[in-house]
Amino acid sequence: MNSPLLVADGLVKRYGGVVATDNVSLALGRGQVMGIIGPNGAGKSTLIGLLGGALTPSQGRIVFNGEDITGLSASDRARRGIGRTYQIPRPFLDMTVRENLLAARFSLHPFESGAKARAACDAILERCGLADVADLNGRDMPLLRRKRLEVARAMALEPRLLLLDEVGAGLVDSEVTELIGLIQSLRHDVEGIIIIEHVLRVVRECCEQLLVINFGKKFAEGATSEVMASDEVATVYLGTARGDGAATLPEDKILDRLDMSKPAHAAAVSGLVGARGVDAGTAVPPMLELLGVHAGYGQARVLNGIDLQVRPGQVVAILGTNGAGKTTLSHVISGAIRPTAGQMRVDGVDVTGAPPHQLARLGLAQCMEGRRIFAPLTVEENLLLPARGVAASDRAERLERVYTLFPDLQKMRSNGGTSMSGGQQQMLAIGRALMARPRLVLFDEISLGLAPIMMDRLYEALFELRQAGLTMLIVEQDVERALELADDVHVMEHGRFALSGTAKAIRDDPRLRHLYIGTAD
Amino acid sequence: MPNFDVVVSSMASGFLLGGILALIALGLSISLGVMRLVNLAHGELLVCGAYLSYFLLSHAGIDPLVGLLLVGAIMAVIALPFQRLLIAPLAGKGMEAPMMTMFGVSIILQNLLLLAFSADTRAIEAPYAARPLSIGPITVSEIYVIGFVVSVLLVGCVHLLVTRTAFGRELRASSADATAAAVMGVDVKRVHALTFALGSACAAMGGVLIGTAFSFTPGTGATYLLISFAIVVLGGIGNIFGTLMAGIAMGLLQSLGAVVLGDGYRDLVGLVLFLLALALRPQGIAMSGGR
Amino acid sequence: MLTSQLSHPSHPEPLPSPLELANMSRFCAYLFLPACLLALAVIAPAMSDYALEIGFRLLLLITLAEAWNLLAGYGGLVSLGTASFVGIGAYALTGLVNQADVPFFLAIPAAGLAAALLALTVSRAVFRLRGLYFTVGTLALAEALRMFMVNYSGFGGASGLFLSVDPPGLLELFWTALAIFAVTSLAMTVATSSRFSILLRAVRDDEDAAAQIGVRPFRIKLIAFLVASFLMGMAGALQGLKVGAVEPYGMFGIQWTVNVLSIVIIGGQGLRAGPIVGALFVVLLSELLADYPALHLAITGVILIVVIRFAPKGLVGLFQRRPRAAGGVQ
Repeated sequence: MNSPLLVADGLVKRYGGVVATDNVSLALGRGQVMGIIGPNGAGKSTLIGLLGGALTPSQGRIVFNGEDITGLSASDRARRGIGRTYQIPRPFLDMTVRENLLAARFSLHPFESGAKARAACDAILERCGLADVADLNGRDMPLLRRKRLEVARAMALEPRLLLLDEVGAGLVDSEVTELIGLIQSLRHDVEGIIIIEHVLRVVRECCEQLLVINFGKKFAEGATSEVMASDEVATVYLGTARGDGAATLPEDKILDRLDMSKPAHAAAVSGLVGARGVDAGTAVPPMLELLGVHAGYGQARVLNGIDLQVRPGQVVAILGTNGAGKTTLSHVISGAIRPTAGQMRVDGVDVTGAPPHQLARLGLAQCMEGRRIFAPLTVEENLLLPARGVAASDRAERLERVYTLFPDLQKMRSNGGTSMSGGQQQMLAIGRALMARPRLVLFDEISLGLAPIMMDRLYEALFELRQAGLTMLIVEQDVERALELADDVHVMEHGRFALSGTAKAIRDDPRLRHLYIGTAD
Repeated sequence: MPNFDVVVSSMASGFLLGGILALIALGLSISLGVMRLVNLAHGELLVCGAYLSYFLLSHAGIDPLVGLLLVGAIMAVIALPFQRLLIAPLAGKGMEAPMMTMFGVSIILQNLLLLAFSADTRAIEAPYAARPLSIGPITVSEIYVIGFVVSVLLVGCVHLLVTRTAFGRELRASSADATAAAVMGVDVKRVHALTFALGSACAAMGGVLIGTAFSFTPGTGATYLLISFAIVVLGGIGNIFGTLMAGIAMGLLQSLGAVVLGDGYRDLVGLVLFLLALALRPQGIAMSGGR
Repeated sequence: MLTSQLSHPSHPEPLPSPLELANMSRFCAYLFLPACLLALAVIAPAMSDYALEIGFRLLLLITLAEAWNLLAGYGGLVSLGTASFVGIGAYALTGLVNQADVPFFLAIPAAGLAAALLALTVSRAVFRLRGLYFTVGTLALAEALRMFMVNYSGFGGASGLFLSVDPPGLLELFWTALAIFAVTSLAMTVATSSRFSILLRAVRDDEDAAAQIGVRPFRIKLIAFLVASFLMGMAGALQGLKVGAVEPYGMFGIQWTVNVLSIVIIGGQGLRAGPIVGALFVVLLSELLADYPALHLAITGVILIVVIRFAPKGLVGLFQRRPRAAGGVQ
């Protein structure tokens, strides 16, 4: 048959006032592998949710194998042959790996003999490299194995269409090669695959067709090679990549861009930076120190021995792919997770295992990943929250300074915290961190989901803060920007610092490209 | 069908009673909203408040209304160590464990009250408890009016507390995202403890009003627990104004049920409403922050 | 029979593997337990009245606890509505016997079916609720039923109904209880070690992910609900039969829910041996404190809280845990 396997027509998904998916249409031919790419927050996962049945569209139709499935539940779609993996794996935690697959198998063939079902599942486990853990509980699987389990479980359904949601994230080069091999071998078992990916190598080597989503809309569509070569797509998706060979902006140019002619501006900013508590020249312990820190969630060990030092006034960047452990590191520093081994020191004092609010009171602030703005609070209330136990006049003064730094926030001071655009919310997150007059701020992936112009503004603010002497830890996916700002850099891989050095040295180090699969090339 | 005056008075009583119900439900609502705690001992906290007031009156001669805030304060003070000891250690272990723990507390409290005070029905005697107040065709007990006014005032105070104070900011932030709040410097454990204390105080104060308007036994709490849940679900978790409206609505509908079906069906009407509300809410009811 | 565990010697020794547990429970179910039941049935005529009474109570409670365990422990549906099904079962039996002269051995399963019918009726509404709403919803249902029965004179109102036929002797009742328990045990074994168990646990662990792989959560939950309510209904019918009368406070009262919940949580949720161990414990406690019912309940509450805090997998879970090496894992 020549009819397409899957047709989506004018899909729209609204959440109250937010349009997550805006009139997206696509057609997947039989035997095709289609990739969907786009910046974080563009709406890719929402799209998979709509296709897989977890979400109901506000508008639009979905036709699978000639049948209108728009009104069907997720389980009905699964039975008709649509298998889907989750971006954050959701194995059945208290069941074994094999049982995870058997659940799918038994819903498909309820009366199959136990032995046959087992054999079928074991075969799939073998292919997905999980044969050795078949009898272990889902809870005990580390992240990478969970991702494989997601694929295996979807395959146990004998699907005709496979929807893969970011299975490549967090893998190193060799593992990506394996993954690509697995996907290509699966091509023969299913009639079509849709892959949402960040790791462009997977997209390039597996997908013939490519769809680019940005801000919920279809931005571009076409043959993979064409789309990847397009300049527009490069700017939108790849963020700040300025093309091959473009030099990064020298620091003096950046300073020019800052409106340093406004002394009030500079003063405002410096007033937000907490005291370093040290005179120049005296031997001081590092402001923040991690010694041999291990950490993880349950059985999964994520950080495997981190040694980190941040001196007052220093700007340190932490780079690495998804799954390398950057977020866990942020959580350890904020106190949200206790290290399982090792020490954390602030100003030389052991604070290992201290709860987050105590660390905050020591002067450590954080701009958390995903911003974590408090929706029930207004913009101003969000800002006032960290300034606890501070005299009212002092609080008001700090508020003024933040408004000077980010005038947008002042305009929207009485609006709900999450009613603004992503970029403005990020400004709020930064301003909120500054309201505590911190001595050290950790900026965790502030560039996620933002357009390059917005990122420029935010990084300008960061530069101002650096000039004012704020100690900063920058966890970033966007290598270019981080290298511009930082003094020193650490690149994470598998929970360790695989590469460390000054920003200048790292920028030219060939190993960086090798380790880091973030932006193009 | 009873005559018009009786019906109208009944409606008015229901309306006023609804205010008191709203106060009681408020305590449950903020516990649920901030701590995700299903406080199955809520009814017993109410009854404890009633007993407390009863004994303040009989041993110290303190009028229930005069001693209302005192009862609330005592209850809050007692509730704090409760929370630290029983609930706080279960943080992060899902919602079932704290809920079952409170179920255990409810059993303990009920039976301790039974042991201490026997199953005798009691009522807090106050001169205005039965005194009727007439405006036109409407006749209600004075206590209903007083209870309504007091309840609405207290609900208003809680509202101000939550929306205008620093503590209120921390409370709302903790309920939206406890981890982020902690990273911003909020002592979330303390917020939870104080929230629980506040919720208990509301329940106890409501209990005083109920105990004065009606009678109570150690087992009275169970019904009010479920009515409170109904109000919370109808009004929206954590939505203070919504809870007030829902409470009044519940009071009205209960009175309507009593008039049409008979007084014994009053509580049943409330429960049926609850079940209907649960069944008919179109989107099901999703709570943010599940496991 | 034992599968190989993790090969790293430095890892802490894990809990028995799911396979081991399944094998252990199969042994119990197919050999040990039936043997015990048979033995009990044989020596019953020689037992004293007191022993028969205790035995009856124990069997009934274990039956109810097993059913609740299926729902809550294996299915993740924490219900506080046990009393509804017990009560319906009791009233249905009374009605069938009084109005239609149905013999006991038919009336009991029929009463079970009546309870299952109630479950079916409310299932659509009740399963839309997740987590706490389901729990509170079932509590509301139980209380609503009780209040209705108190007020509605058609079913005897507050004073209830009397069985128009003499209840059978204690020995027959004991044997009947054994039979019902055997049925329950069989049902539980099938439900917990068959493919249904896999589907049920999948729904329990993550309903949405289960749906995504083709499981129909509503159907699975409904089956568990129907089986559990059927068993609870039969237990209620038997209780009604024994007492010879039914009334709302006794048959729809919250004590059924409290007892069953305590038994399973103290014994161990989601574990086959949990209800048995829990029931033994609770009955023992109630016999010790027989003269002080309020104190007994209060102490049960305390034990419940302590168990939840310090032994979340119940008494059975305590004995199952092998000592772990001090790990770095939080």
